[in-house]
Amino acid sequence: MRFLVRRLGFLLVALWAALTVNFFIPRLMPGNPAEAMMATFRGHVNPAAMHALEVAFGVNTHESLPRQYIAYVGNTLTGHLGNSTSYSLLPVSTVIMKALPWSLGLVGITTILGFVLGTTIGAISAWRRGGALDSVLPPVFIVISAFPYFWIGLLAVWLFALTLNWFPLQFGYTETTVPALTWGFVGDVLDHAVLPAMTILITAIGGWILTMRNNMITVVAEDYVKMARAKGLKPRRILWQYAGRNALLPNLTGFAISLGFVISGAILVEYVFNYPGVGFMLLQSVQDQDYPLMQSLFLLITVAVLMAIFLSDIATAILDPRTRSSS
Amino acid sequence: MKVLGALGRVARRAINFLRRDKKAAVGAVIIFALALVAAFPSWFMPHDPTAEIYTPGAGLSLNHLLGTTSFGQDVFSQVIAGTRESFLIAMIVGALTTVISVVIGLSAAYSGGLVDDGLSLLTDVVLVIPTFPLIIVITAYVKNASFWMLIFVLVFTGWSYGARQLRVQALSLRNRDYLLAARARGESGFYVVFVELLPPMTSLIVANFLSSALYAVLAASGLQFVGLGNINDQSWGTMLYWAQNNEALATGLPLWALAPGVAIAILGSGLALLNYAFDEIANPALRPVRARRKVVAA
Amino acid sequence: MRGTLRAGLVGSALALVASTFVMISSGTVVLATSSAAGASTQAPLNLANEQGLLWPCTFNPFNPSDAAYSVGVTYETLDFVDALNNAKVTPWLASSYAWSNSNKTLTFTIRSGVKWTDGTPLTAADVAYTFNLIKKNAALDVNAVWTVLSSVKQSGANKVVFTFKTAAVPFFYYVAGQTPIVPEHIWSKIKNPVTDPVKNPLGSGGYIMSKCTSENIQWTANPHYWQPGLGAVKVVNMPAFLSNNTCNEYLATGKSAWGSQFIPNIKSYYVAKKPGNSYWFAPVANVVLFPNLKVAPLNDVAVRKAISYGINRAQVSKIGEYGYEPPATQTGIVTPTFSSWSSSVASTAAGTSYNPSKAKSILTADGYKMDSSGYFAKGGKELALTIITNGGYSDWVAAMQVVSQELKRVGIKASVDGVAATNFYSDVYAGKFQLAYNAEAGGPAPFYEMRQWLYSKNSAPIGTAASSNWERFSSPAVDALLNQYTATTSSATQHSIINQLQMVMVNQVPVIPLLEEVDWFQYNSKQYTGFPGPGNEYAQPGLYNIPDWGVVLLHLKPVK
Repeated sequence: MRFLVRRLGFLLVALWAALTVNFFIPRLMPGNPAEAMMATFRGHVNPAAMHALEVAFGVNTHESLPRQYIAYVGNTLTGHLGNSTSYSLLPVSTVIMKALPWSLGLVGITTILGFVLGTTIGAISAWRRGGALDSVLPPVFIVISAFPYFWIGLLAVWLFALTLNWFPLQFGYTETTVPALTWGFVGDVLDHAVLPAMTILITAIGGWILTMRNNMITVVAEDYVKMARAKGLKPRRILWQYAGRNALLPNLTGFAISLGFVISGAILVEYVFNYPGVGFMLLQSVQDQDYPLMQSLFLLITVAVLMAIFLSDIATAILDPRTRSSS
Repeated sequence: MKVLGALGRVARRAINFLRRDKKAAVGAVIIFALALVAAFPSWFMPHDPTAEIYTPGAGLSLNHLLGTTSFGQDVFSQVIAGTRESFLIAMIVGALTTVISVVIGLSAAYSGGLVDDGLSLLTDVVLVIPTFPLIIVITAYVKNASFWMLIFVLVFTGWSYGARQLRVQALSLRNRDYLLAARARGESGFYVVFVELLPPMTSLIVANFLSSALYAVLAASGLQFVGLGNINDQSWGTMLYWAQNNEALATGLPLWALAPGVAIAILGSGLALLNYAFDEIANPALRPVRARRKVVAA
Repeated sequence: MRGTLRAGLVGSALALVASTFVMISSGTVVLATSSAAGASTQAPLNLANEQGLLWPCTFNPFNPSDAAYSVGVTYETLDFVDALNNAKVTPWLASSYAWSNSNKTLTFTIRSGVKWTDGTPLTAADVAYTFNLIKKNAALDVNAVWTVLSSVKQSGANKVVFTFKTAAVPFFYYVAGQTPIVPEHIWSKIKNPVTDPVKNPLGSGGYIMSKCTSENIQWTANPHYWQPGLGAVKVVNMPAFLSNNTCNEYLATGKSAWGSQFIPNIKSYYVAKKPGNSYWFAPVANVVLFPNLKVAPLNDVAVRKAISYGINRAQVSKIGEYGYEPPATQTGIVTPTFSSWSSSVASTAAGTSYNPSKAKSILTADGYKMDSSGYFAKGGKELALTIITNGGYSDWVAAMQVVSQELKRVGIKASVDGVAATNFYSDVYAGKFQLAYNAEAGGPAPFYEMRQWLYSKNSAPIGTAASSNWERFSSPAVDALLNQYTATTSSATQHSIINQLQMVMVNQVPVIPLLEEVDWFQYNSKQYTGFPGPGNEYAQPGLYNIPDWGVVLLHLKPVK
């Protein structure tokens, strides 16, 4: 319990830090959102109209910095995230909801799949040291992890979408179909998700395999595994229920931290495939200099990672009694 | 003197290991080759990389080993020219993040108490904030994401992982006898940390340097690819930006988009292979197992 | 671990299915329905218009970022002014108009029989209401019509009288051709017309916005449209595209028959892919280098002339824009669109547009000497200049890189800075640059662009945002010419004034036109007929030209 309380405390500090960073960055380089809107109008706005717009949308307050900060924190916590300048001043929360489900689907599934497959393969390859899997996998995945995520995406686009025509080029589903609860639509969504998901999986899985393998090797060298073997237990039982379980534990904490990396990679994959998720929206908001949207997306991603970390801490606490008893 | 002796021992061990381990040898060769290209690009470039005077969209030929871009520039020369910036980013970011990680990680482990708590909290907080989105947000506010701004941003977001790792290892070493002996002798904290504590951690530090360098290359090229770097620069990431904006893949110029990626991967593989090798030095259990021939009963 | 593994796999499968449901049910669920209007078997027309974002589904016609999706298709204007055909006026909601009182009064007769799509008749009252709504809310006045209007009043059952403060004949374009007419009975109930998103636009136009999701906007033909022969296309889709590449692919593979895209290598990428794929890039305005006339050495006309003669515009167009944008001329007249305005005297005075030796000799005569690094210098200062451009337009950046190489060859050390959009516009408006590559909005005749470039009152001191005339040009003689043009409807007077302005362009080089900006336009003639083209320039064909694309849409017919 103490462990969880400490972790919760830590996460709140991290959240506060992210909020503060988010607050100060734009004030280091002030970007007037009214001017940002002017850019979307391609300059077809006369300054008088511009000024009237600023007044209408409440830009340019002259409050003191601490007051602005308190107002900012209060607004963020209550969900008043401002208006998006690149989406015709729609509320940021509305705009984010357009993209959020797509990212949840893509990133969520590939992370879980990557974790499950990666740790399984890593465990097996460590168990059979010197075997085919063990000698081939590490160098192969080292090389693959050296490729940038987005480049593998480009390669996949060129090979599978443009040259071989096996999969669609981009987007979440065929553009003009109306989203509906039909099997046709579900199939269309999955069809469009294959290449982006594969790209993220290929680059992410290597890390999982290697860390699990390395952990397993350390664990397998331990005495209790030798004891289990001496006792005559079935190898498969030892692999999964003795060694695997213990090797998995450090991975769990790593899992949450790596979620941050998966999301980062997913941003670029979404860019290459124009997958309409949160990552792509972040990049577009940067290019359009839509600061309210960009900051809120950054916060959203941070909160998601922090939540994942907290959940994995809970899982670790449940699975590993040592964390519960140590201070 | 003792510092030099310690470093010398470690260096000799490392070189012996490189000789034995194929992976590390390949990695070292790659890095050395790229360093050469980065230092003397004009030796390897057949043409001026920025000159737009060749036939646009030309395919492979002896004159243009990787074809030309849609602006009429030689792709191969651009790849060679781009080596310097990517290589420098890798080395500089790697070095700076390693220095910061070492200072913070070791100081935290050595000092203990409130200082340790404070530094650990700082490290963990910076660690959990997702790096790429943060990098994107920071570069978005900077008018000119120049070379040094890129480096600053990457270092600022990249030191925490190493600091955490180093702190953990330093903690495990902290109570060893020889350190207690040094303290009992009256040596200063600085001496204990940097002369006694540091040498056994060298392989971990080198591994850290290499993985930071790898992270820097991938992150920098990602930023340049989406146009957040300086698009006038000669670098692999910028080449990818231009290729993407001119639909290189779809208009029959795939090499323009694929070649810089392969170059990044070569640099990355070199770093990753060396990194893997140093991981093995640090943790002997990971070293490759020589398959023993089974004794078959007659 | 086996149990855990199995649980993991099952969990993943469940997560997969669950996520798909989450994706679908997140507010984008619409049960599939058969097409509404006409229940015809006609295939919908898909448009290829990449804007780099998902649709916000807001349609306020006075908001410049939303107007493209409602003005022309749903909301209409009093007249249609064709920029590509010498500002030819086609009566639209107003059946006729007349100038009087020394061009200070403009009276429109509003057409009878036009109905809003809810059945209410469109009357003169709606027209007067619209303009007074704009007067009351300054933020709606994007064309600044109320800087010249003094009142707009209904007169009788079907006339509206516009009274101007001073004669401002060219404003006809903005008043009659660019102002969307909105229904009083709806808009009088809107609390804040500036910020209202207008999710269900109700207009008089040929197309009704029937469905909008983040990923697609759909319009259906108005069955009671007041021009019964037009609007043969029943359903129109405009999907959202997040980047150029994917939109181009959509267009090239034939999924769309009408696009407004920048396509690299258009002949092999697009034209060759499907029979009927064609393109027409009609130039409408100039993209120019704005020299900051308040800053040395650009306040020296010799330097500006040297820059103009030192750039090989054809090469810039070929390499930076694949040759799609024709080279501009220093006179500032866009050809062939406005060829009838071109002055042969001015063209002769300008001479060959690319003349590097002339550039060098102009600089030498001005006291510049070539230094050891190959650049001109005067008084110890090298001639070094920075060109800023919109970093988000990669083709503009590429064009400027060619320009800088050209200028280096004539001894001017030019460097390019691709600035992020907001910063770019704010720098340009405030005059914080040496050379800036940008375009003005232009209009249906050379006068509009020239006034934007040259009228001193458009400008502002360095540091204050100016709406146009970013180079800060100021000449009382030119102002007088522009005011004279504004007051007249005589074609002869107008031509004479434009001729004189062309001489100003050649002699004083206030701006340096480099390329002619075109409307990006791709179409498939085998799927639809009725598109505008060379010889039939009845409207601007870009999907962002308002109200033009609505007019084009009305003229399209599917090929059986």
